[in-house]
Amino acid sequence: MFFLRKYKTAILIIALLVIALMMLSFSLKYGAERGFFSKIVLEAVAPVQKGLSASIKSIKDAWSRYIFLVGIEEENKNLKKKINELKSVIISYQEGYLEAQRLKKLLSLTDDYNYHSIPARVVGREQAALSKTILINRGTVHGLKVGMPVIVPPGLIGRLVDVSWHASKVLLLIDESSNVDAIVQRTRMQGIISGAGSRGLILKYISKTQEVKEGDVIVSSGMGGVFPKGLLIGQASHVDRLEASLFLKINVAPFVDFSKLEEVLVLASSENKTK
Amino acid sequence: MIYYLLLPFLSIVLVILQSTITDVIFSDRLVFELSLIVVIYTGFRLDLIRGSVLAFILGFVFDCVAGSVLGLFTFIYVVIFLFSFFASGRLAAEKIYIIALFSFFCAFLEDLMIILFYYLTFKFDVLMNIYFVILPKALIVGLFAPVFFYMMRRVEVFFYERTA
Repeated sequence: MFFLRKYKTAILIIALLVIALMMLSFSLKYGAERGFFSKIVLEAVAPVQKGLSASIKSIKDAWSRYIFLVGIEEENKNLKKKINELKSVIISYQEGYLEAQRLKKLLSLTDDYNYHSIPARVVGREQAALSKTILINRGTVHGLKVGMPVIVPPGLIGRLVDVSWHASKVLLLIDESSNVDAIVQRTRMQGIISGAGSRGLILKYISKTQEVKEGDVIVSSGMGGVFPKGLLIGQASHVDRLEASLFLKINVAPFVDFSKLEEVLVLASSENKTK
Repeated sequence: MIYYLLLPFLSIVLVILQSTITDVIFSDRLVFELSLIVVIYTGFRLDLIRGSVLAFILGFVFDCVAGSVLGLFTFIYVVIFLFSFFASGRLAAEKIYIIALFSFFCAFLEDLMIILFYYLTFKFDVLMNIYFVILPKALIVGLFAPVFFYMMRRVEVFFYERTA
């Protein structure tokens, strides 16, 4: 008893450090499974963050609507031109899509996973030094589970890493600890897309003997069953052939602007829906 | 007792405020870690027990809201608090440049620990981030810390005068 009283400060500090290390090792071992307190914090954060974000958004909107109107006419003209160009592109893609559907039917190919989407609003954008996450206003009561893919049509943006009752945390693709199996759309070469923070994404493990060009589109491969096949991830922005390496160094610019996410879709498999 | 009961709520408010400031001012391009400045400040101003509990709770909240590995910031914040606490006896806290340099060093130390952790556990080479994320972040913390220390001193004086 005397010992405890004499060294209570030291014991408390050591206990705090040990608890932190235990949380760290638990988190590394079991990954997504997080505790009750973590859920409580997420539940408490989401409504406050939502209120704050909504008020800031309304101020931003007022600014952009009434004050920042310079150059709108010119922009409008350019956008109309762009729409006309894109319409012709869409028509050719629709043709391709219909052809693919016919061929798929012909070959009796079916998707292994059927997904339905759950819309959610981004209520917070959280940033630590090497970590990029967002908070959304949907949780387990809406059918969300850890590991579900999150998209902003048509691109993939990340997956759920922490789900409480009414809020969830999404690990973005650009987070340093994010890895997604991907393929180069043109050559069908498979690699791993890793997050590189503010530098975007990096496509790893593509052999130097392969040909990848700047502008090549990268899509999810569907391997492992976590992410559906064919979701847009990004575009190769820089390809380096380093002498000392076996693999190409490919920088990928994401399709999605991660700083402007407002609404997202969480993809839940039909299996989850029926449960 | 009220201090310990209020701590989780204040920590949540602080982390939300910090992410909102980052979002509005820096448009997600830079990281502004106000919570780290608070941990450094408590190292200078609070006793070991209250300060380490604050660092632990703040780190845990930050981990829950922003971190991708639970427990990482909890551990780092307690370590940084202890470092600040033991350094505070040897540093002149009233000198602005000392506070700025010390905070810069703490921010850099925090990120070095994170880089080391990522390298040892995931084998990620995140050294490139030193130029793009870590140095700017440490600079922001270093520049803002004296302002925060000054503001907190004013708040302390205000409350002290009212209660005296």
